[in-house]
Amino acid sequence: MMNMRIPILKLNDTLIVSIQWELDDKTALQFQEDLLNKMHETTARGIVIDLTPIDFIDSFIAKVLGDVISMSGLMGAKVVITGIQPAVAITLIELGIRLEDVLTALDLENGLDKLQKELEA
Amino acid sequence: MEYRSFVDIYTEWDIVAARQLGRNEAKNSGFGTVDQARITTAISELARNIYLYAGKGRLEIERLSENGLHGIRIIASDEGPGIQDMRKVMEDGYSTSGGLGAGMPGVKRLMDGFKVDTEPGVGTTITATKWLR
Amino acid sequence: MNKQMIKCINENMDEIIEKWQAMMKNEKGERFFHFMPENLVEKTSREFAELMTTNIAENNIINAEKLTDFASKVVRFGWSIKFVNKAIDNFSNITFDLLEEKEIIHHDNVRLFHGTFANWISPLRETIIEAYSVEWERTVNLQKIALQELSASLIPVFEKISVMPLVGTIDTERAKLIMENLLEGVVKQRAEVVLLDITGVPVVDTMVAHHIIQAADAVRLVGSKCMLVGIRPEIAQTIVALGINLQDFTTTSTLQKGMKEALELTNRTIVEVK
Ligand SMILES: Nc1ncnc2c1ncn2[C@@H]1O[C@H](COP(=O)(O)OP(=O)(O)O)[C@@H](O)[C@H]1O
Ligand SMILES: [Mg+2]
Repeated sequence: MMNMRIPILKLNDTLIVSIQWELDDKTALQFQEDLLNKMHETTARGIVIDLTPIDFIDSFIAKVLGDVISMSGLMGAKVVITGIQPAVAITLIELGIRLEDVLTALDLENGLDKLQKELEA
Repeated sequence: MEYRSFVDIYTEWDIVAARQLGRNEAKNSGFGTVDQARITTAISELARNIYLYAGKGRLEIERLSENGLHGIRIIASDEGPGIQDMRKVMEDGYSTSGGLGAGMPGVKRLMDGFKVDTEPGVGTTITATKWLR
Repeated sequence: MNKQMIKCINENMDEIIEKWQAMMKNEKGERFFHFMPENLVEKTSREFAELMTTNIAENNIINAEKLTDFASKVVRFGWSIKFVNKAIDNFSNITFDLLEEKEIIHHDNVRLFHGTFANWISPLRETIIEAYSVEWERTVNLQKIALQELSASLIPVFEKISVMPLVGTIDTERAKLIMENLLEGVVKQRAEVVLLDITGVPVVDTMVAHHIIQAADAVRLVGSKCMLVGIRPEIAQTIVALGINLQDFTTTSTLQKGMKEALELTNRTIVEVK
């Protein structure tokens, strides 16, 4: 079986993840595990996950994302999701998934700004 | 002209194959990016339900052309355990697997037409259609 | 139609129009004759009478341009097809009564006149109603397009701030369109704050509120902030009365107040210069 891993970059005290291709279930779960491990290994207090290339999110991936955010919170880190496409936002809302307490930004740059402000606050 | 294609669902990878097929069909039928996302998402939900609750089944995609209207029909069929309580299943947040319980009510909202035929012990067939505006 | 008859109708035109107006005023649900300015009513009535009598002499066909003109006018005035039909009925009845009164029609020739009358009124009715329905369809289509265009505009006002003014009734179909335009506009214009202005939305019921909440939620997901502005007092009252919860997002009564907050949110302010 293919084993694709999503690269996680570290920049100062921030982890940056850019999801470049369609997520299958295994890759999504692997990503969850990798991210939590990376957080544990490093001193990262913030995470930006960029979803610009993603053209759909179903309830499974939404759950994985939501879980990642809750788990990161438990480990003391803040998560900002960036680049959710209009089509993706609309389908999420229609699925009834609001991702209520999630921080969002239009793009990676805005996301990093927002994270900085959140961490300073 | 009637045109059908399908993916048999046995593994998690078949879910990916099913939605790739659906995305292409939606694009080729002339749907815009938002409807493409709606159709792809609906297929993903239905295919995953087959995989999770029935073990195996089939996801078919049919291109529609009726009275000058064009659209896409998704048919998800399995010979699994069937659904006991349809009312509960259509409630937001109801899940027997620790999922979000957003699949069934969500697909209904994402698509224009939605129909469930199910019989406990026999199986489930879900038909969902989307028309080109 | 015989000369005597034509002469009689033409001579008594003022009286016919006056009687006809009086009858039309009594139609149920009629607004035109009560709310329109006097001279407009007068002018429209004359045009109608003219239309009704153009083909009165044989070989005279109705002027197509005048017909379309009249049809588009009454469609705009909001005459219903039933009302147009009634107008034709009343006009022909009054004319018939008048001819009877002047004893041009009497017991001996009434049969003959019925035929003449029918030949006059029937084709008229057909052409007028035909013109009316063509015009009606055209107007409805134009309105539909206009409405779609109305809902299609997200306006970039300042860097990072855009406004979408909503005008008219919001149904499910339109709500979807609004949502798509809103989100695509937000991403394209890189708007960090969008003001959804509902000043022009006549009714906010639970369904409309639901659509607005969904739009605001979707805006948050793409990474921007949605503010609801233009909440009139009566809208605030219905929102509370219906138990709609808008607590999760910023709302203001006017666009100006909303704009001020949006500027603050993006760390800017407007200063007066001398
Ligand atoms: N094909 C199916 N066969 C049997 N049961 C099903 C099927 N699809 C859905 N269900 C039942 O409906 C419930 C709700 O499904 P869904 O709305 O997709 O949410 P979730 O998958 O997150 O549980 C499932 O938990 C399951 O019990
Ligand atoms: Mg499901």
